Amino acid sequence: MFALIRKDLLLETRSKETIASLFLVGLLILFIFILSLNVEQSRVLEVAPGVLWAAIVLASLLGLGRTFLIERENGCLAALLLAPIDRSSIFLAKFLVNLLLMLTFEALLLPAFALFFALDVLPALPKLCTVLLAGSIGLAAAGTLFALAALNTRSRELMLPVLVLPLEVPLLLACVHATEAVLRGASLASVGRWAVYLVGFDVLFVISAWLMFEYLDLDG
Amino acid sequence: MKMTGDMNALTKRFEKLILALIPIPTSLAVLTSLWAVFLWVPTERNLGIVQRIFYYHVPSALACYVGFIIAALASIAYLARGKQVYDHLARAGVEVGMLFASMVLITGPLWAKPSWGTYWTWDARLTTMFVLWLVYFAYLLLRAFSRDDEMGKRFAAVLAIIGTLDIPLIVLATRLWQGAHPAVLQSTKADSGLKDPAMGITLAICMLAFALLFTWLWTLRFSVLRMTEAVEELEYRNDEALAS
Repeated sequence: MFALIRKDLLLETRSKETIASLFLVGLLILFIFILSLNVEQSRVLEVAPGVLWAAIVLASLLGLGRTFLIERENGCLAALLLAPIDRSSIFLAKFLVNLLLMLTFEALLLPAFALFFALDVLPALPKLCTVLLAGSIGLAAAGTLFALAALNTRSRELMLPVLVLPLEVPLLLACVHATEAVLRGASLASVGRWAVYLVGFDVLFVISAWLMFEYLDLDG
Repeated sequence: MKMTGDMNALTKRFEKLILALIPIPTSLAVLTSLWAVFLWVPTERNLGIVQRIFYYHVPSALACYVGFIIAALASIAYLARGKQVYDHLARAGVEVGMLFASMVLITGPLWAKPSWGTYWTWDARLTTMFVLWLVYFAYLLLRAFSRDDEMGKRFAAVLAIIGTLDIPLIVLATRLWQGAHPAVLQSTKADSGLKDPAMGITLAICMLAFALLFTWLWTLRFSVLRMTEAVEELEYRNDEALAS
């Protein structure tokens, strides 16, 4: 499994295609929202968290399919499946790589976000990073699982958002509100509710995805 | 395996039984419900005639949930055992469930506007129903666009299972959300005020009618799926025979 991770990361750090594209798409989405929304600075926290997460989700949906697409294009998928490892390990490897990609992308996007919305995120940074991490885990888990599903269909890029977004709705809800609470400097208690929820969601999704991957007949 | 051979035979017998016995009771139940809802039950005091939608709205929701839960259970069986009959059961469950879910989403707002003043609100029940509708719509799209191989069916099964598991998560998230901004509208469903016993009876009749209707539609759909599979099997064997 670690070999898999290392391979994918090596591919990525050499070409940097995925990260660059993700970052650009994220920036563009933030920019489009800023242009189309008309919010005064005093009320910016009402929309900013939602915009941030919209950008993260939309960009990552584009990026998540890629790790499997690369395998398929190079015919590696068959080789991978023949290898004497757990199917679930394949999932874990892809999931961790995707997670790492997403976190890197978010780290790059955050300064742009703070700049565009004129928000001072530094005081809330640790809590904000925790929320981003928790949200990304959930997104990466569902996204990795269904990226392979989408690949098997006739309308690949279109299927992944269709499959993943409805399931991610509660996660998004929690992330946006947790982000808002954190940026407003809310108390630990009010953020805490959302934090517990996020952790629960992530645990459920990662475990379900990991378990189910084993039952997929990937030889087909 | 003997177990699954039995399953196949068992479902065939049930299918024949249901399709033979169910049409008449269902028709009677539906006709009775029409009479009860439109001619018999007294008009509710507060909402007037519009309240009668409730008698179709609630049973539709029940039928939809039953369909999706059946689909999830059948999907688990399919992932575990791999036999095609479970996949047919699941798929039929989702399709009929979606039919009733769409009915819920159409009748709901029609009822909401006169009673709450707005067509839609984001409380736990409505949000959950809408997200479920999206998830199982995605299931139908996945089935439509997948190549007809094992992997496509298994992924669909995974989606059906995760969709049902997602339900408590959605409810919880929406409650956390709306807890901070309590819904301005009182979500008083009419079941909190079933004053007249005739209303209870009417609801019961409609529940029965929809339960029967669901079973009939589900069995029909299942039998069509099974027949399609049989035809494809015959065509395949025919091609094989011609080729050799």
